[in-house]
Amino acid sequence: MIEHGPLLERLLAGEFICPISDESGYRHLSDEETRESIDAYLRPLNRRLASNEDGSVYFLAWRQLNDSARDQLSRQLGDTLNSLLPLLEWLQLVQEALGRDTLAAPGDVLKPAEFSAKCEDNQSLRERLERLATDSFFGSQSDQLDAQVKQVFKRLKEHGYLLQPHSERQVFVVTGKIDYLVDLVRFIRDEENLPIDADKEEGSGAQEALL
Amino acid sequence: MSTSLNSSANELESRLLKTGSERLALLGKHSEALMQAYTRDEVPLESLSDSALRKLLAARILWRPDEQSGVKLAPKVRELIAEMLADETRRHVNADVAETLELIRALVHSYREARSRGEHWRLEQQLMRLRQEVDDLNGRFADAIDSLWQRLNSDFGFVSQLNDKIRENDRAQKQIARLLDGLALIDFDELIELVGSDGSLRKLLISQLQQQLSNHYTGLREVQRRLIELMARFRKQQARSRLMSGMAAFMREHPGFVPGNYARRSEVPTLVNQAAPLNAAAAPALDRNLDSQVLAELLHQLPQPRHTTQTVEAAAPAQAQESSLAAARQQALKQDVEHFYLSVIDQPQAKPVSALEYLHASPLEWPDEIWLFQVISEYQGLPRSDQSAFRLKQQESQASRFNHLRLIHDVELQLAV
Repeated sequence: MIEHGPLLERLLAGEFICPISDESGYRHLSDEETRESIDAYLRPLNRRLASNEDGSVYFLAWRQLNDSARDQLSRQLGDTLNSLLPLLEWLQLVQEALGRDTLAAPGDVLKPAEFSAKCEDNQSLRERLERLATDSFFGSQSDQLDAQVKQVFKRLKEHGYLLQPHSERQVFVVTGKIDYLVDLVRFIRDEENLPIDADKEEGSGAQEALL
Repeated sequence: MSTSLNSSANELESRLLKTGSERLALLGKHSEALMQAYTRDEVPLESLSDSALRKLLAARILWRPDEQSGVKLAPKVRELIAEMLADETRRHVNADVAETLELIRALVHSYREARSRGEHWRLEQQLMRLRQEVDDLNGRFADAIDSLWQRLNSDFGFVSQLNDKIRENDRAQKQIARLLDGLALIDFDELIELVGSDGSLRKLLISQLQQQLSNHYTGLREVQRRLIELMARFRKQQARSRLMSGMAAFMREHPGFVPGNYARRSEVPTLVNQAAPLNAAAAPALDRNLDSQVLAELLHQLPQPRHTTQTVEAAAPAQAQESSLAAARQQALKQDVEHFYLSVIDQPQAKPVSALEYLHASPLEWPDEIWLFQVISEYQGLPRSDQSAFRLKQQESQASRFNHLRLIHDVELQLAV
């Protein structure tokens, strides 16, 4: 157990462990025996190891859902929902600014400078960024583009969606927590029967089954 | 007869060689114009002379679809360039098995005829052409598979949009299906019957071809599997992107949207169950002897807190600001004038003291005018009760006869006793 000390600490601190945020930790967690021993260790703390559906990201869940746990979860859910639209809008903004047609995915590299440069050249992107940065989730007080972008990246780093491999370099990597966010959105869509374009995964799944 | 046939065959061969290499040389000679034609729609005619154009047309490197249209690159040359550049947007995948099979059948028949007639030279020729055909067939499959792998490994990097990637992947999968259909056309039972007992044909068309084709088959299946995997990944990316933008649009349209409180359900969904962060804190403890030694060492290793000896004044900016300099001078002048007043008070028998005489007698270096001005304003600034303790007498004269401007030359201060 002792070799998993740092990993346990990160998990207990509420971090999401993915191949980007902690490669060796994630590798350990991919081993079922390790997962079981960590689970056993967490038992007295009323916590257990959980993952998203794909197993691309691990985090800690409550083992027993008592009243205080439920209170905490309700609050947390409320916070997540409040931050959902700003996060979704940021993802769209990144996609459009960088001319990508796919969502930012774990391992993607993002450079604030590149992002600012694109927004600077385009008035509509600039305005959207401004709106986004001053949203309470990102909470920028500045009216300078660079400072706004910096604040947005800083907040995303704080929330574990981005990782900054070198503190002195303004280069960020998207973490696996984005997968969690996508799963959560899909879950909400399904639970609430929201009229959002059904994904076409079934089609390719059927094709795969044909082989 | 055989010798004359041989010599005419040699003649034919040498003519082919000559024309072929001449025409191949055309490719190199006009490579730039040809590449421009490859990247554009038509050949830029201004860069070619009439005779060059005629030669290129005769060599079927270029062609003119009809009288009105411009001169274009021949499809085969375009394919050749695409192959050489591994230009996946233009590379064609076409194994054309059916036609090759027809040709092979014809060649085998002709070969057998030659053998039964004892025409060794023709026999050799037909065998060589058969070998070439089999090599071509192999080459076409190998090229096609290579092109497919190239596209796969680059994640269809030659197109940037996901939708294009999906379409390209789809196209590649259809090509594989056609190639596999082509492979299925080759019926080895038929070929075995066709070659009969001839050893060299058997080797070429049965054992060798069979092994090569089986490799191609495995290769194609592998590429197909990987393409389908990649397609699934593309579709997943597309679905993610659509899902997130769909949700964003929905939430913008429904600002009051609140989903159910999943935390209150009897079965809380795994995704929502995220435990509160816990800080694994620790503090130095001295209840174990072994540890206290370590802690003592750590304490010694702590960096010495740096006490600064600098005073606040010393830390002030080295060069005083202009305004503060002026204020300091003003203050000094005021102090010197006060000393002058004190010296007047100290005068025995309240003798009047000339301000200028005092100034000149002292080591002070104020200009006369400023000194007098300050002495007067000091007097004006005194409270009325103190003012009456002094008597200020101005030595003055009229500046001119035409006005009442008076000049002060000096002032005398005296205690009013």
